[in-house]
Amino acid sequence: MALTATLPGPRLTVQRQTRSGRIALVLFVVAVIGLAAMPFWAKTGTIRMVLELCCYIAVAQMWNMLAGYAGLVSVGQQAFMGATGYALFVLAQTFGINPFIAIFLSLLVPAVLAVPCYLLLHRLDGPYFAIGTWVVAEVFRLVASNMGWLNAGAGMSLSVMKEYSAFERNLAMSLLCALMILVTIGGSYWFLRSRYGLALIAMRDNPVAAASQGVNVKRLRFMIYVAAAVGCGFVGAVYFMAQLRINPPSAFDPMWSNLAIFIVMVGGIASIEGVLIGTLIYFIADRYFGEYGASYFVVLGVMTVLVALYARGGIWGMVSKRWDAPWFPIRRHLIITKDMP
Amino acid sequence: MQWFDALVQGVLLGGMYAQYALGMALMFGVMKIVNVSHGDLVILLSLVGISLSSSFGLGPFTVMVALVPLALGLGWLLQKAILNKVVGEDPLPSLIATFGLSLALQNLMLQIWSANSRSLPGGGIESKSIQIGGIYIGLLPVIVLVFAVALTWGLDLMLKRSRFGRALRAAAADVEAAAMTGINPRRVYASATAIAVGILGFAAVFQSLRSTVAPADGGAQLIYAFEAVIIGGMGSVWGAFIGSMVLGVTQALGFRIDPGFGVLAGHLVFLLVLATRPQGLFGKA
Repeated sequence: MALTATLPGPRLTVQRQTRSGRIALVLFVVAVIGLAAMPFWAKTGTIRMVLELCCYIAVAQMWNMLAGYAGLVSVGQQAFMGATGYALFVLAQTFGINPFIAIFLSLLVPAVLAVPCYLLLHRLDGPYFAIGTWVVAEVFRLVASNMGWLNAGAGMSLSVMKEYSAFERNLAMSLLCALMILVTIGGSYWFLRSRYGLALIAMRDNPVAAASQGVNVKRLRFMIYVAAAVGCGFVGAVYFMAQLRINPPSAFDPMWSNLAIFIVMVGGIASIEGVLIGTLIYFIADRYFGEYGASYFVVLGVMTVLVALYARGGIWGMVSKRWDAPWFPIRRHLIITKDMP
Repeated sequence: MQWFDALVQGVLLGGMYAQYALGMALMFGVMKIVNVSHGDLVILLSLVGISLSSSFGLGPFTVMVALVPLALGLGWLLQKAILNKVVGEDPLPSLIATFGLSLALQNLMLQIWSANSRSLPGGGIESKSIQIGGIYIGLLPVIVLVFAVALTWGLDLMLKRSRFGRALRAAAADVEAAAMTGINPRRVYASATAIAVGILGFAAVFQSLRSTVAPADGGAQLIYAFEAVIIGGMGSVWGAFIGSMVLGVTQALGFRIDPGFGVLAGHLVFLLVLATRPQGLFGKA
């Protein structure tokens, strides 16, 4: 700092926020408040639909942090969703802990499980890492199917939720939705704008060069993996609390990976905007074309292939090439205010 | 005797897995690509074979004669149309492209063949068995194992001895240096994928003879192939073969302990190898 004051040269300021970013930030805060206040403006059916939408956004953003920034392509995040869902059911149902406390206690499970998983999986090279995460999810599913105290293949019900009135449950689900979006989207935005975000972006662009600049690539990857496990776990706990039932095939459903990959790749990888756009497309397509079943998924699959072949940046990549108006700006612009004499 | 029987069954099961694993090891060795739709291609070829057999009344080995060239062509097309565009340092594009392909293929098969399980009629070959020292060994698994050994041996010989094998190894070691010596990497890649998928033509016939296939089964086959390659050690054809044997034996022993434990036992051995010997049993450290 002292250097710039004494040496002649341009006076610089770092601009980090843009007008579009400020507008988006206000809208984001309004959206989170709107989510939290859902019981006062929405019917139970609407709340359930919005909850599903929020789950998609959150899971996709976690995948985006893994694949888009940390370079860790996972097709097994459902492992942590199911494990946390089960942890919630066991704590609340078997041990009789208040479910709204249990939901936060259950987040310890993915945090603890992610550590050995990562220590094993990081030994696998690039694409093999992805298939390895799938094996881990399969192991979780098979273990859950064989465990007596998880009621094996039959699954569990969360009947303790009967003690709460419909309004209380709606309120709780709405607050959890708001918290989920705040933590996954807001948290990622905050993280990307922090010191770690700079390191992460450097790592995304070139891990070797980033390491030579003093970025601890290994530790950063590990941190992102554990954080994404906890984030996905939180989504799993909220989702299955709303479902009131859990069994191994639904808890460890690879569908979550399919939709996260579709949302992020089509929306635009390595951007929060892309996740929001991709989720909207997936959600609308699912409402209108879901009835066509298999042929609908053929179209989703082909779209994913086309994006990988011809438009790596997805929709947001194309948009941001034309209009420079990010909703969640994470770049730092150097602005020359005036030349020193 | 019961355990020895499980061991024999495991080795025979390994013969099946080896036919999946060879192609995966070859593609990863040459291009550092994992084809997520590997298992779905086996299922696709199986279903095509079953349809061929039922509409023209072909026997299993006639189906194989038709299926292997089809598989070779499919592999070549896969490389030309998709994989050549995504091969490179970054693993993400190839993973995503083949992942999307897997999703599309699975649901396309669901559309054409419905979710029902089918199998290929073998004209009695699938139920014949031979008795050796008190153990009944199915004739079909023995044929599968013989084919697996022959394919592994042939592939290894081709890589080591033939001109094309040298070009492949050169492209795998350093693609730019190989290109400078007059090798066309794209053509080499296309041939490698053609061979990898071509082997699946054999696997498809055997898989649909020994059990049933349904459109959603591809994922499991991909995982078994992957585990076999990692257990055996990357980049070696015989490593993939031995890895398949280890996986097959583990699963067979696991099934003998508890039917719910077979597949899980295979996964656990895979994780154990990853924890203790990440380069695989036969990989170089």
